[in-house]
Amino acid sequence: MGRFLLPWDPSDPNDPGPLMDVVVMNSGDVLEAWRANGLERPDPIPMKALIDTGASVTVISKTFAKHCKLLQTGESEVRALGAQHRCGEHAGTIRFAGSNLRPVEAIRIRSVDFIREPHFACLIGRDILRNWSVTFEGRLKRVTILD
Amino acid sequence: MAPIGQFSAELKVFEQHRQEWSSSHPGDFVVILGDEIAEGFFSSYADALKAGLRRFGVQSGFLVKQVWVTEPVYCIS
Repeated sequence: MGRFLLPWDPSDPNDPGPLMDVVVMNSGDVLEAWRANGLERPDPIPMKALIDTGASVTVISKTFAKHCKLLQTGESEVRALGAQHRCGEHAGTIRFAGSNLRPVEAIRIRSVDFIREPHFACLIGRDILRNWSVTFEGRLKRVTILD
Repeated sequence: MAPIGQFSAELKVFEQHRQEWSSSHPGDFVVILGDEIAEGFFSSYADALKAGLRRFGVQSGFLVKQVWVTEPVYCIS
């Protein structure tokens, strides 16, 4: 079982929330298929991700999805603060850098524009969180994740 | 990255089968390229992705679609 502690200060208005380092890349099956076809593989991209219990699905910045060349396998509608957007659905793998949490392989990742968001380029949504035990400890200013 | 709207042909095929599939295989995944449907329903996205890669290859741009009667809108805030 993996365990990971994140700093989080709910009393600081400038704290963006619990952030973790993640690496997003194409899933193993896609990489294997690329290799078999002699295609060039982009390097995995490290980025900051917000633990977001308000997000029903995991989302990545459209810019990063393009840069990672994540295989697109569909489209879906997402709603953020009342506005609805059509977004891409991609097959991807997420690794949690600097932790012993198990990677999440071959999941659907939606891509949206992260406008004026300097702190993170990914939202870890409930499709991943549902597999974890997450404890928010406001007084101790930390978040604990067990997988 | 593929633009939005790339899957219009595949979504049209999906719509033709939506009612039937949502009765027989709700929540399962199907794989479609053009008007061709990969054989079978898949209980997970990962299995559907594998089947799509096997059947159509990595360069073809196939659709992996979960079967619902009504299309969900995913809330992200």
